Amino acid sequence: MSAGARRAAPPRFFLVLALAIIWAPSAAARTTIIDDSGTQALEPAVSLRWKTASPGRHSVQNLMVGRTTLRVRLNVLPWLKRRGRIYLALPAQAPGPLTATWQTQGRLGPGQVQSGNRVLIYSGPITSAFIEDVVALQFSVDGQLVNRAFPVSVRFEMDED
Amino acid sequence: MHELPSPRAATRRRKASAEVRALRASRWRRAILGATVCLAAGGTASAYTVTLTPAAPQTVYLQVGVGSFTQSYISGGQPGNNPTINLVSTSVAAAAVGNGTAQAMTTNSTAAQSFWDNFVFCSVPGQLYIGGFYRTTGATTAAARVSATVPSALVSASGDSIPFSTIRWTSSGNGDSGAEPFPAGSFVAGGVQSVGAMASNTWNESCLSFSYANASVPAAGTFTGRVLYTLSTP
Repeated sequence: MSAGARRAAPPRFFLVLALAIIWAPSAAARTTIIDDSGTQALEPAVSLRWKTASPGRHSVQNLMVGRTTLRVRLNVLPWLKRRGRIYLALPAQAPGPLTATWQTQGRLGPGQVQSGNRVLIYSGPITSAFIEDVVALQFSVDGQLVNRAFPVSVRFEMDED
Repeated sequence: MHELPSPRAATRRRKASAEVRALRASRWRRAILGATVCLAAGGTASAYTVTLTPAAPQTVYLQVGVGSFTQSYISGGQPGNNPTINLVSTSVAAAAVGNGTAQAMTTNSTAAQSFWDNFVFCSVPGQLYIGGFYRTTGATTAAARVSATVPSALVSASGDSIPFSTIRWTSSGNGDSGAEPFPAGSFVAGGVQSVGAMASNTWNESCLSFSYANASVPAAGTFTGRVLYTLSTP
């Protein structure tokens, strides 16, 4: 590379950087974890029970399920008067693969998610500082992974349009 | 006198200048990256955590003869208690007593269908249903054992006896193949014997066909005895 070419490199870098900054919002949505500190569980203790009382004859039926109801209150003030997509995320966590299935009262969408993934539960304008709904959650886990009580975390994520 | 820079010195300065610009660019990258991180982490982030606690994770069910289930397992049935004691019996014709021809026994149990799926697994009255399961959380454990507590003999009202060891059974099931969880065998003449095993978290069932050896000539009469089946978990 010639010295002249080297001299020209920095301006190109800043040009590209500037373009990247300008284009960034439209190229990939920014994900932010939503403040859900106002969320409450109607049943604080979640009992995990066998989904079926009996195991299978030839194939093992080991699914255990636990149900709880959350009064979800999401602080979406930072996105007020904008559009956004809200996801329910179930991070990969111990003791192993989990499935969460939920029903709502309509403000958020129902769905199902495997641990390590997230699912869209709202898309549209943010018209109030808080989004609230009652979410009936059911967790499913292979009983062979369960030895004792364990915590499960879910979080709500916002992708800005 | 003004000294002209040598070409080599000029190259070094250009290199130094390029390095400074690269350093500045690097700082810019770090600054922008830092700002991005700050923006991403700027909100009050949180996650909601619930604790799942296994409740009554261990369940055992053993059925010998008739049993109780609210409905089939596939339909969400729940096991229940059934105090019924079933009878397995045979009547040996006077002319055949002690001729060495085994006499098939029949049962008053009506349990032909498996509570797993309502499939007609056993043929009554020729077969006695035996089945159950052992539920537990965690990794697969040692098998649960099913044992039979057997008296030494069947006894008549007049005090005569026939050794329990004269009764044996074969094991099968309609449409079944492979090894039976409760295999064929014969009773011991008094004592506790193993009659089968259940791997954890599996449904196990067999149909037992009993027979009396009929190789001796006991006194006339009705001979009875009771065998107790027990499921023991590890």
